[in-house]
Amino acid sequence: MGRMKFLCDAERCIECNGCVTACKNENEVPWGVNRRRVVTINDGVPGERSMSVACMHCSDAPCMAVCPTNCFYKAEGGVVLHDKDLCIGCGYCFYACPFGAPQFPNGPSAFGERGKMDKCTFCAGGPEETGSKEEYAKYGSNRLAEGKLPACAEMCSTKALLAGDSAAVSDIFRDRVLRRGKGLEAWGWMTAYGAEQKEGAK
Amino acid sequence: MKTIFMRHGGSLRLLLLCWLLALFGAFMPAQAAGEAAAEQVARQQSQPLNNAPVWREVRSGEAHFTLAKGPEAGVLIQSEGNTWRQWRNGPITQYGGWLLIIVPSAIALFWMVKGTMKLHAKPTGRKMKRFSAFERFAHWGTAITFLLLAVTGVAILFGKHVLAPVFGPEFFASLLVAGKLIHNYIGPVFGVFVVLMILTFLRDNVWQACDAIWIRRAGGLLGGDHVPSSRFNFGEKTWFWIGVTFLGLTVVGSGLVMDFPNYGWTRADMQLANMVHGIGALVLLALSFGHIYMGTIGVEGAYQSMKTGYVDETWAREHHEFWYEDVKAGKSGHPQDSVTGARS
Repeated sequence: MGRMKFLCDAERCIECNGCVTACKNENEVPWGVNRRRVVTINDGVPGERSMSVACMHCSDAPCMAVCPTNCFYKAEGGVVLHDKDLCIGCGYCFYACPFGAPQFPNGPSAFGERGKMDKCTFCAGGPEETGSKEEYAKYGSNRLAEGKLPACAEMCSTKALLAGDSAAVSDIFRDRVLRRGKGLEAWGWMTAYGAEQKEGAK
Repeated sequence: MKTIFMRHGGSLRLLLLCWLLALFGAFMPAQAAGEAAAEQVARQQSQPLNNAPVWREVRSGEAHFTLAKGPEAGVLIQSEGNTWRQWRNGPITQYGGWLLIIVPSAIALFWMVKGTMKLHAKPTGRKMKRFSAFERFAHWGTAITFLLLAVTGVAILFGKHVLAPVFGPEFFASLLVAGKLIHNYIGPVFGVFVVLMILTFLRDNVWQACDAIWIRRAGGLLGGDHVPSSRFNFGEKTWFWIGVTFLGLTVVGSGLVMDFPNYGWTRADMQLANMVHGIGALVLLALSFGHIYMGTIGVEGAYQSMKTGYVDETWAREHHEFWYEDVKAGKSGHPQDSVTGARS
């Protein structure tokens, strides 16, 4: 398995929120939690752009670096996963994450009673046994283990959201940019993948 | 013709800009976004292949439109998190860690060289009241909550480097679940006690002329060890003002920001609060080592005074001579019922 990455093509995203829905449906995400969201810049103005955003599975993940219990780990393909059994709900990953990916079932509650953090798993489940009920209940689908890509990208109607092996995703995007002669920014990529890849970093 | 058209185009664009600015200018928070939108509209026409205004917006950390509910859901990239990470994982952890090793080591060394400060004269057996019941309540309430917060706070910052390798990740995480609960619920209680402490001891911690003597002789370290002082000497006053009051209120204030995210603080607010909290708490903890040393093994009789509220008259004369004289003369001598005779 290569290095797994997300890429959202801002020239193609039409803010249909299909990725958000697909994610919620696929993973039975708790109420109040959106693992993925779509943000529109200059909404309603000519030249508006929309972008889908979730955990980018950073190379040098800030969440991983600040977690007081080291609940994060790098799974195969550079996917950043976490162990909810170790999470204390301190919210530090939310402070550190550039993309606002970590979500909390109770939201920002008094006395920091956020509950256990939930975030995009690249549809790769979690530390429980692959394909088990426990894994599904805590982390959602493990499509990667079934040889499938994340549901959000597979459902994307305009193929704005790409997910998969970094080289393949980059090739598709490069081809698009050459054909249309614009929109060459793979937004968030320098933030997420600019640093050196850390395997199992603590 | 061409120039006229261009001039018209220019003024049209200007009109459009003005219209957009007027439209968005009506809403104060939307003003910046309005300017950015206008820039984007202009860029669509002038350089359709160059989308720079949008990418500036992506990196700006401003909130944009989104259907998702949640704190700062409209922000695409916030870069302050990385600055916070560098501070917390860098200097705060490193220098803070050294501080917590060096200060107790220095105190231990001092104790091994100098030993406990003992009374010179014989105890008279006559007791004087030094702390009222309420003062002791405020002190021990602060002390116990402070120790709970110190232990749990240190575990949250250093635990993964020190405790996790010893206990294993699962057991360490369950310890920290309890630690975080203690820290978050005891924190506000500590805040109440800090305020009580300040109000209770404020009166006897104001500057007095005799404090100058104490400073000149470094509290007895220079030229003999007996420096007369009032109820509290300048060392105790320093701990009161810098430790309890300034650092105490600092960690309480910054802690409350993080403890109650439901008030809608931004991530930037909580990152700043976390750094202030970390630095403040580590310095406060380092200073508290000094206070705890002086209150226990450092000075004979000091622990008994806060435990029972009474000191021997010899102790009072040797450590707080002016206070002793005030009490004997029936003057101010806080607490009021100072001369109560033998208690034991």
